[in-house]
Amino acid sequence: MNGTGEKLLEVRDLQVGFATEGGLVQAVDGVSFELAAGEVLAIVGESGSGKSVTAQTVIGLTRSVNSRIEGSVRLRGEELIDAPEAELQKVRGDEVAMVFQDPMTSFNPVYRVGDQIVEAIRAHRRMSDAEARGLAVEMLRSVEIPDPERRVDSYPHEFSGGMRQRAMIAMALALEPSVLIADEPTTALDVTIQAQILALLGRLNRERELATILITHDLGVVAEIADRVLVMHGGRIVERGTLDEVFYSPKDPYTRSLLGAMIRLDQPPPLDPPRTHGPLLEVTDLVKHFPIKRGVLIDREVDRVRAVDGVSFTVERGETLGLVGESGSGKSTLSRTVLQLLEPTSGSIRFEGREIAGLSRREMRPLRREMQMVFQDPYASLNPRKRVGQIVGDPLRLQGEASGAELRGRVQELLGKVGLSPEHYDRYPHEFSGGQRQRIGIARALALRPKLIVADEPVSALDVSIQAQIVELLDDLQEEFGLTYVFVAHDIGVVRHVSDRIAVMYKGEIVEEGPADQVCERPSHPYTEALLAAVPIPDPREARARRQTVGA
Amino acid sequence: MARFAVRRLAGMVLVLFAISVIVFLIFNVIPNSDPAQRIAGKNATPQLVANVTEEWGFDEPLPGQYLTTMKLIFTGQLVSYSSQLNVDEQIWEGVPATLSLCIGAAVLWMSFGILFGYLSAVKAGRLTDRALTVLALVGISMPVFWLAAILLYYLTFKVQLFPSGGYVPLTENPLDWAYHLVLPWITLAVLFVGFYSRVLRSNMLDAMNEDYVRTARAKGLGERRVRVRHVLRNSLIPIVTLFGLDFGAVVGGGAILVESIFNLGGVGQYAAESIANLDLPPIMAVTLFGAFFVVLFNTLVDIAYAYLDPRIRLGTSAQ
Repeated sequence: MNGTGEKLLEVRDLQVGFATEGGLVQAVDGVSFELAAGEVLAIVGESGSGKSVTAQTVIGLTRSVNSRIEGSVRLRGEELIDAPEAELQKVRGDEVAMVFQDPMTSFNPVYRVGDQIVEAIRAHRRMSDAEARGLAVEMLRSVEIPDPERRVDSYPHEFSGGMRQRAMIAMALALEPSVLIADEPTTALDVTIQAQILALLGRLNRERELATILITHDLGVVAEIADRVLVMHGGRIVERGTLDEVFYSPKDPYTRSLLGAMIRLDQPPPLDPPRTHGPLLEVTDLVKHFPIKRGVLIDREVDRVRAVDGVSFTVERGETLGLVGESGSGKSTLSRTVLQLLEPTSGSIRFEGREIAGLSRREMRPLRREMQMVFQDPYASLNPRKRVGQIVGDPLRLQGEASGAELRGRVQELLGKVGLSPEHYDRYPHEFSGGQRQRIGIARALALRPKLIVADEPVSALDVSIQAQIVELLDDLQEEFGLTYVFVAHDIGVVRHVSDRIAVMYKGEIVEEGPADQVCERPSHPYTEALLAAVPIPDPREARARRQTVGA
Repeated sequence: MARFAVRRLAGMVLVLFAISVIVFLIFNVIPNSDPAQRIAGKNATPQLVANVTEEWGFDEPLPGQYLTTMKLIFTGQLVSYSSQLNVDEQIWEGVPATLSLCIGAAVLWMSFGILFGYLSAVKAGRLTDRALTVLALVGISMPVFWLAAILLYYLTFKVQLFPSGGYVPLTENPLDWAYHLVLPWITLAVLFVGFYSRVLRSNMLDAMNEDYVRTARAKGLGERRVRVRHVLRNSLIPIVTLFGLDFGAVVGGGAILVESIFNLGGVGQYAAESIANLDLPPIMAVTLFGAFFVVLFNTLVDIAYAYLDPRIRLGTSAQ
């Protein structure tokens, strides 16, 4: 899948700035690169590095009253940067197509998927509705959507995430563009689906000689399909080269730190000695079903979603149990039910030997201080109108632990423990970065000195380098406070890194449980094997070796 | 979709029943004085009060009273004891004028509300937007009775451009009908135009940042098509809710001020006159009439929603 030489796209000294109230923010600062036919170019960087802005600027999507764009973008020698809007419209979708990160929100929810593809086709080709529809069906077939004649009339919400991204790719490729820009195309997807989409992109790239710009923060994805790599940081390209050059002899310190920060599945962490002092949490035959109700006048229960369907596990004091599973496996429901945030349908939850399933809210209240939760989205789980001091101090205040100057002192101490500074007390959440916000969430969870912390995808919304820091912080805090963790995540690499034992969830059940190394090295359940095989390894040579053994 | 509609319509019947009970309680039970006395009107003779007690069944237990009251209202036997006129007939007489006023005004307020909202959003922050913002605020702030008075003073009294009021049935003379309704239409629509354009503007500005709008641009669609098919179409959904509520309210007799000032003789004006005379039977009937339309249009909005947003069409509820 190496480039065949013909130079398609040439970007020279691209500058993109946005006028804000605080002055001009330079998002892209002097970026230059070339793209040849049939080549996959990966642009790697963390959030805010300017990688998406660069890609969108290529087809003029960042043009607005507030943006300042300079430099040159040539497609087959033709300048696009100052081309009139009408010219750009001809290029967009026809010559250069784009696939976006979130397939859930990238289709308009009120139109059928087929109609949206037809709309794209007819924006560029003189074609009857019926012909365009036929082409849409063909495209859906080529991206392996089952039963495309029927699914072409589905609405986006009737598709799964993976199908939506396939449909998005079908729409992008319908007009046989010569350049495809894929902006984090697999970030919102489960690993097994990600592997399928990457394989699909790889196949299309080979079959159609499609030049692809792949924007991602995930070096594992890069190692799977890229030919050349650009590393962006702070709006500049800090490293460029072939896949092997960037991975095996990175020149820039930032690239080296990015590679070093990767939490890798195939590199086991140093083992802590097992810390077993008897069970803290024992869950037996836990069931949580959600009824599906349907009826014309009166709702009857017609079926139930078996989110958690007979799960048993034990967490020892001071250990970390990793709970892995893909979206819909029931892992979040399980963690919420264990904390009694959802009422279990049946089963037993014993905390320090005491049965807590079925306790009333009031009876649970004194126990709440013992068990706390850290949430996935550090942007959504902190109240934007409260100051950090309030957010972290509220549990202390509500449980009557402290007030006034004492409260302030304790909160500031907590902020110190999680690597923030006492001056942050009076700030608001929006003044912090994602990683800092997650630290605030951890401080809040720690405030009451709980014994058990359930962390639901605590790092999956964070950049790679920040993920490693937060994992390290959780590790240190466990050491210091003797905490017990249930660590819920979809990324088995991260889970392996932090967990003593791993439980794999699939369709509401735990299909495999055991010591972390055993589960990762010698999985006994086929689903665990599939999950492990789907994880992209950020090492081009190993990725190639694996592709050959799989026979792809 | 059909199942969804049936569910909503059945729900509507339940709500109407609840409203009828509440109306009955408010008018006949809660005031805690002889209801017959109040219904019979200001200058009632003891004989009339006795007749009312008999006719409305006020010596029966409450459920019986409720049934009798509803029977009177729904079989067209309700009579105003002050004017001796049949209440249901009076309401039906007012319906053509009220509908003419409301439908015409609704066409105006929806067209201009959407047009101004769209322009404001597309030109956000620029002069057009600012001018429309000021206009909308002026429209929202102007009291109806004041605007009506100003229009009447300048356009009928000073420059005799329009008639000073009254209603000409559409069947009699369509031109005259419209001519008489121009000022009432404008008066009623102004507030809604201001309000709807503001709501639409902010909906559209939110929608412009949606991922699917970026996708539409990336497909190479023209800017106007992106704005109309993807931004405007999705932003209209909440406007439909507002419209259902407001339209139901004005059709149900809510345009009391406009109807009275322009002397249209509609349901709202009838309500206003009955209130002024403390004539209970018509007030009761108009209240039910109004509630019926508010509920009806709410239901229609729910059904329209399912059409406008396919995600609602499921008909299943997983909690």
